[in-house]
Amino acid sequence: MSILAVYSIKGGVGKTATAVNLAYLASQTGTKTLLCDLDPQGAASFYFRIRPHHKYSAKKLLKGGTHLEDGIRATDYPGLDMLPADFSYRNIDIALDEQKKSERRLAKVLQPLSKEYGRIVLDCPPNLTLLSENIFYASDIILVPMVPTTLSLLALKQLYTFLDELGSGREKVRIFFSMVERRKKMHRQMIQAMHNKQGVLDAAIPHNADIERMGLYRQPVTAAQPSSVAADAYKNLWSELING
Amino acid sequence: MSQTVEDTWIIPETLERDRLEAVLAQQFDVEAMPEYGAVVTYMDTFDWRLYQAGMLLHMHRRSWTLYEKSGELILLKGGPNCKKGCMVEAFPEGPMRAALAQVVGIRALLPLAKVELHGRQLHLRNKDDKIVLRLVLEEQRLPGENQAFRMARVFPLRGYEEELEAVRVLFQTQGIIQPVSPLVGFEAGCLAAGRKPLDYSSKLVLDLEPQMTALEAMRKVYLLLLAVIRRNIPGAVADLDSEFLHDLRVAVRRTRSALSQTKGVFAAEALKPFREGFADLGRATGPTRDLDVYLLIEAACLARLQPELRVGLQAYFADIARQRRKAQRNMARFLCSDKVNQFLQDWEDFLRMEIPPGGPLAAKPITKLASRIIRKHSAKVLQDGQNLSADTPDAEVHQLRIECKKLRYSMEFFSSLYDENNFSQLLKPLKAVQAILGDFNDLSVQQEHLLESISTMHVHNNTEAGYIAALGALMQSLYEEQEPLRDHFAEVFASMASDEQLERIASLFGKKQPI
Ligand SMILES: Nc1ncnc2c1ncn2[C@@H]1O[C@H](COP(=O)(O)OP(=O)(O)OP(=O)(O)O)[C@@H](O)[C@H]1O
Ligand SMILES: [Mg+2]
Repeated sequence: MSILAVYSIKGGVGKTATAVNLAYLASQTGTKTLLCDLDPQGAASFYFRIRPHHKYSAKKLLKGGTHLEDGIRATDYPGLDMLPADFSYRNIDIALDEQKKSERRLAKVLQPLSKEYGRIVLDCPPNLTLLSENIFYASDIILVPMVPTTLSLLALKQLYTFLDELGSGREKVRIFFSMVERRKKMHRQMIQAMHNKQGVLDAAIPHNADIERMGLYRQPVTAAQPSSVAADAYKNLWSELING
Repeated sequence: MSQTVEDTWIIPETLERDRLEAVLAQQFDVEAMPEYGAVVTYMDTFDWRLYQAGMLLHMHRRSWTLYEKSGELILLKGGPNCKKGCMVEAFPEGPMRAALAQVVGIRALLPLAKVELHGRQLHLRNKDDKIVLRLVLEEQRLPGENQAFRMARVFPLRGYEEELEAVRVLFQTQGIIQPVSPLVGFEAGCLAAGRKPLDYSSKLVLDLEPQMTALEAMRKVYLLLLAVIRRNIPGAVADLDSEFLHDLRVAVRRTRSALSQTKGVFAAEALKPFREGFADLGRATGPTRDLDVYLLIEAACLARLQPELRVGLQAYFADIARQRRKAQRNMARFLCSDKVNQFLQDWEDFLRMEIPPGGPLAAKPITKLASRIIRKHSAKVLQDGQNLSADTPDAEVHQLRIECKKLRYSMEFFSSLYDENNFSQLLKPLKAVQAILGDFNDLSVQQEHLLESISTMHVHNNTEAGYIAALGALMQSLYEEQEPLRDHFAEVFASMASDEQLERIASLFGKKQPI
């Protein structure tokens, strides 16, 4: 099993759009896939029209085992299941803090799922907290969408500082450019300046109206419009991520 | 818990599909997928390998659908057009072929039943427009018949158990209460085509009863073997796959083995023509089988050789394939002949006589006779095997292999007379010994065949030189695999001759006593 976290300190950079589409693409390769929505706002769950089970909560997530498994629901796509977010996740850091080895709890509860799922994708909330630490610890790849602006660079520096403090790997980090607008000079310049840096992928996701509208039709664009420009971009990103 | 568990229910005749959909629409958003309809041909091997593995395969023109046990589907457009039957190799590389190859192996997929399918899939959605359950409403009928099986197949989605429960309740109110196998159409189609799932297995399933006389029991054994022979003749003649002939030959060998092991049950004089007839059957089918065995290992042999030598070996196998075609034609002619037909009919008539001519042991209880036979063969194998070592000459190894085979056959004939668990504990080490001796012997026969080919050839040009070089290299490779097997002889045999096993033999088959 491999765990892919789509993560950024910054909000609104395309994490959820990416997590949703990559999870769908992963399931299409025949690998049974689980998408975990870890953001209490539940945007990923919304895209799949899935509400959490009324008995499900952050506590159940952290208890793991059947408590967690009972929260899993099938998406409309064979081979792709989802663990929807519950609003109680907003207090998850407090609940985490009460656990033993609190920074490894998430890894521990996800581990048994490897029997059923070949791949797990995590959609993460935008912050730097104990949950983030859990996410870094549990993941094999931390995929960071980056809108090509100077502010994003700052956020990336913060992430690296944080990872260094944890003593856990910068080498897990992969960065790709998100919401790219080629006609913007600053975007072009940023990409130019960054593209050779360690962990930066060639594949980029353009700013695209079909992606923007995902909230309207509530499906991954890769499923709804599999031969669109947007779908191709996600497919490229996925294949670069998998094949290096 | 898994999303792929399905359940299937009969839709009562009085319930119109529109009515059912309307009732569902009161609780869910019902999205109807396009209507489908086709006459599909269900495929399986002669011995039901897919059915046994919980799989179902059908073909509609060149579109293939495989239902896996998990409920998952594999679809293939542009697969083989398989009217008479086809091997897995006829499929393009891909998930369908991979899934089939694991189960089907070297058997051909044969068309078994034609069934007309009509139906459509419904997606039941909740307020959020999320699919919470999939439903297939389907009619299955035999082509040309009016009566149809109407069924609802439920495919629940993980995490939506409450909705599943609601649909179950709704079904009950509509009289949908009788579960049914989704295979009813398939099974009915098979029946219409004269087959029934699991009606053939190459395993010998005999249930003899301890109070039977030797004559009654052996009559049953022979009739079963005769049925196996007969059932495999058409496939061997039509050359659908190599297993028909293999099973046929095993049944012939078992018959011959039984005939010589149970002398005295039937009158010797009466059996004489049958012994000869079965020997003829064995002889007439031998050449084709021998060549089959080579062709079955073709790919493995090629893989043994350094790539540049392979061309020569391919020529060798092409030649074997030619010989085989000829041998098969001769054999087919023989198997279809009046002589063979008449012979098998005479054998059946003989076995079915009210009182067939018995020998001195005819009225003995079968258990006594069976124990004596197995005891005798066990003793022989154990004695000959004692001396088995890495240095045993090939001819003696070969002899021991034959003894083991006799023992194995006799154990299989009479297994139903003994305690199952103890019996299978005895069989296990015997099978292991047979496996290693069998491999050893195969490798040795193959080398002999290669040597014979080499020594009868005259080299005129480079092609022929390459051919001989390839055969030489293959011989060497086979030899290198064969020799190390010798080092395991003693150890494998020891597990058969352990004190525990000897006790088991004594307790199951008793001590020597006059019969
Ligand atoms: N490539 C894109 N082109 C255009 N719009 C996009 C693109 N990616 C995302 N969006 C839109 O931008 C908004 C934010 O995207 P998204 O929710 O994926 O970001 P996020 O990083 O997950 O945000 P948050 O931090 O709030 O979780 C959404 O309205 C989404 O539809
Ligand atoms: Mg988000």
